Amino acid sequence: MSHAAVEVEALVREFKGGIRAVDGLDLEVRAGEIYGFLGPNGAGKTTVVRILTTLLRPTSGRALVAGHDVVHDGDAVRRAIGVALQEAAIDPLMTGRELLRMQGALHGLRGPEAKERAAALLERVGLTEAGDRRVGGYSGGMRRRLDLALALVHRPHVLFLDEPTTGLDPTSRAALWREVRALHEDGTTVFLTTQYLEEAEQLADRVGIINRGNLVAEGTPASLKERVGEPTVHVELADPGSAAAARAALARLGTVEPANERTPSRVALRTAAGRAAIGPVIRALDDHSVQVEFVEVETPTLDDVFMAVTGSHLEGAERAEEEAEAA
Amino acid sequence: MREGRVVAALGRRALTVQFRRAQLLMPTFVLPLILLAVIASGTSAGQGLRGFPDVGSFLAFVVPGTVVQGTLLAGLTSGTALAGDIEFGFFDRLLTAPVHRTSLVLGRLFGTFVLALLQSTLFLLVALIFGAHYPGGPLAVVATIGLAGINAVGMGGITAAIALRTGSLSLLQSLFPFMFVMLFTAPAFFPQDLLSPVLHDISLYNPLTYVVEGVRALLNDDGSLGNPWEGLAAACGLAVATTAISTLALKERLRRL
Repeated sequence: MSHAAVEVEALVREFKGGIRAVDGLDLEVRAGEIYGFLGPNGAGKTTVVRILTTLLRPTSGRALVAGHDVVHDGDAVRRAIGVALQEAAIDPLMTGRELLRMQGALHGLRGPEAKERAAALLERVGLTEAGDRRVGGYSGGMRRRLDLALALVHRPHVLFLDEPTTGLDPTSRAALWREVRALHEDGTTVFLTTQYLEEAEQLADRVGIINRGNLVAEGTPASLKERVGEPTVHVELADPGSAAAARAALARLGTVEPANERTPSRVALRTAAGRAAIGPVIRALDDHSVQVEFVEVETPTLDDVFMAVTGSHLEGAERAEEEAEAA
Repeated sequence: MREGRVVAALGRRALTVQFRRAQLLMPTFVLPLILLAVIASGTSAGQGLRGFPDVGSFLAFVVPGTVVQGTLLAGLTSGTALAGDIEFGFFDRLLTAPVHRTSLVLGRLFGTFVLALLQSTLFLLVALIFGAHYPGGPLAVVATIGLAGINAVGMGGITAAIALRTGSLSLLQSLFPFMFVMLFTAPAFFPQDLLSPVLHDISLYNPLTYVVEGVRALLNDDGSLGNPWEGLAAACGLAVATTAISTLALKERLRRL
C-alpha cells in the first residue's frame, strides 16, 4: 500500500443512460514507475484519469493517489499530482511565462519563486525563447511541452499525462518522450495514457490494457508479448526442394511449424530466443547444405496482445505505424 | 494569504485576457462611450422638459448611466470568459490545482472589479474632457469608481453563476440584450419621475436604479437626485448575494461531476 502511487479498487463510473465507462477497475501503479495505460478511444482511459485527478467522481469503488482518497481528500491529491490533460486548453492569449507564473501562484509559490520556477521550466522544455510569446502562436509540440511544464511547476509526485503526443509530429513526440524519461529518472511516477503502442513500448515500465472500462491485461511490455507467444524466425530458402532438410535441421532449435503449400520455400521456427536464434539457425542450415535467401524474425507486438485479450486490433496502432513510416 | 495570492493571480489573468481580446474590449470600453455620445448629443434637449432636475451639466447627469452600463458589460464579459474557460477546458486546469474552490470564483470577480474601476475612470475622464462638471469633487469621483467596482462584482456574480450552472458560452453571449433591458428599466439616462408609469414601477424593483441614482447624487452633489448610501447598499447587497449564488453554482457543478 505504501509503495503504490495509485491504487484503484472496484472503480465504477456510470454516466447518464447507464453507460458504464469504467466497470469495476482494479489497478495499482508503483511509486517511481511509468505506467502505460493503453486502450482504444472510448475504452475508459480518460474517465479513469479524470477520476484520479479529482475532476470526476466515481459512482462506486475507491481510488487513492499518493495515499490520498480522491473523493474524501481531493485537496491532498491535487497537491501531489501534476496533470497534462489531452483536452485541457492552454489560454492562447497568455504567454508561456505568464501561464507558468499563474500556475505557480495556484500552487502556492510566491512572486519571485514563481518567476524563477517559470524560467527554469521554460528552459527545461526548450521554450525559453518562446516564453514571452502568446501561446496562440505556438506549434502543437510547443503547446504540449508547455503543458508538461505547467504540470511540473510544483514538482509533483505523480504525473498524469493523458495522450501527451496525440497529433504530434515524430520529432516533437521524441522530444516529449525524452522529457518523460528524464522525469522518470528523477523518481517521478508517471501515469501515461496512450493509444500508441510504440509509445507504451518505448516509455512504460508496465502497461495496463483497458477495454470497455476494464483492465484486460497488465504487465511489462515484454511479459505481455510473451503471453501471446514466442517469436517466429522465418527462413526463405533458395530452393523449395530443400524444405524438408531445413525442417530437420531446425527441429532441435525450437518448434518448426508445419509446411504451408502456399509458401513452399518458407520454413517457420518458433523459439523464445527470437533474434538470438538467427546465428544458430544459419549455422544449422549451413551444416545441412541448405541455401538461404534471407531470414527474418517476427516478434509479437502489443497489438497482438491487444488482439489476444480483446479480439480486436487497437485503434491508433495503424495510425502510429503510418506516421512512423511517413517520418 | 495564500488564497489571496491565488485570487490576485486569477484576477490578473482575467484582466490580461480581457485586454488582449478585442471582442471583450469593444463592449466594455468602446460601446458605453458610443452610447454616451449618442445620448449626450441626441437627447440633451430633454433637459428642458418640465420635471427634469436642475443639473449644471447634462453629461454629468447621464454619465452615471454609462458607468452602470459599463459594470453590466464588465459583468457579462466576465461570465462569458468563464463559460469559455469551461467549454474549452481551461477551467479543468484550475480545478486540478490545490486551491479553495471559492477562490476560483473570487479570482474571476476580482478581475471584474478591477476592470470596472478602469472603465469608470475612463468614462468619467472622457465626460470631463467633453465638458461634464462634477460638483461632488474628487472624493465623489473616487466613490463613484468604487461603487462601480462593487456593482460590477454583483453583475459578474450573476453571469458567473449562469456560466457555472450551464457551462454554455453561447447562452452567455445571448444574454447581451438582457443587459440593456436591465439598464433601461433603471433611470440610467432619464429621470425616474419622467419615466412612463409602468417603467417607473419596474424601476423601483431594479437595484440598478439605486446605484445609478446614488452615483448621480454623488457626482452632482445633489441629494435630490438619489441616495448614495442606498446605492452602496444595493451594490453591496447584489455583490454579496450573487457571489454567494455563483459559489453555490460552483459547488453544485462539482457535486454533479
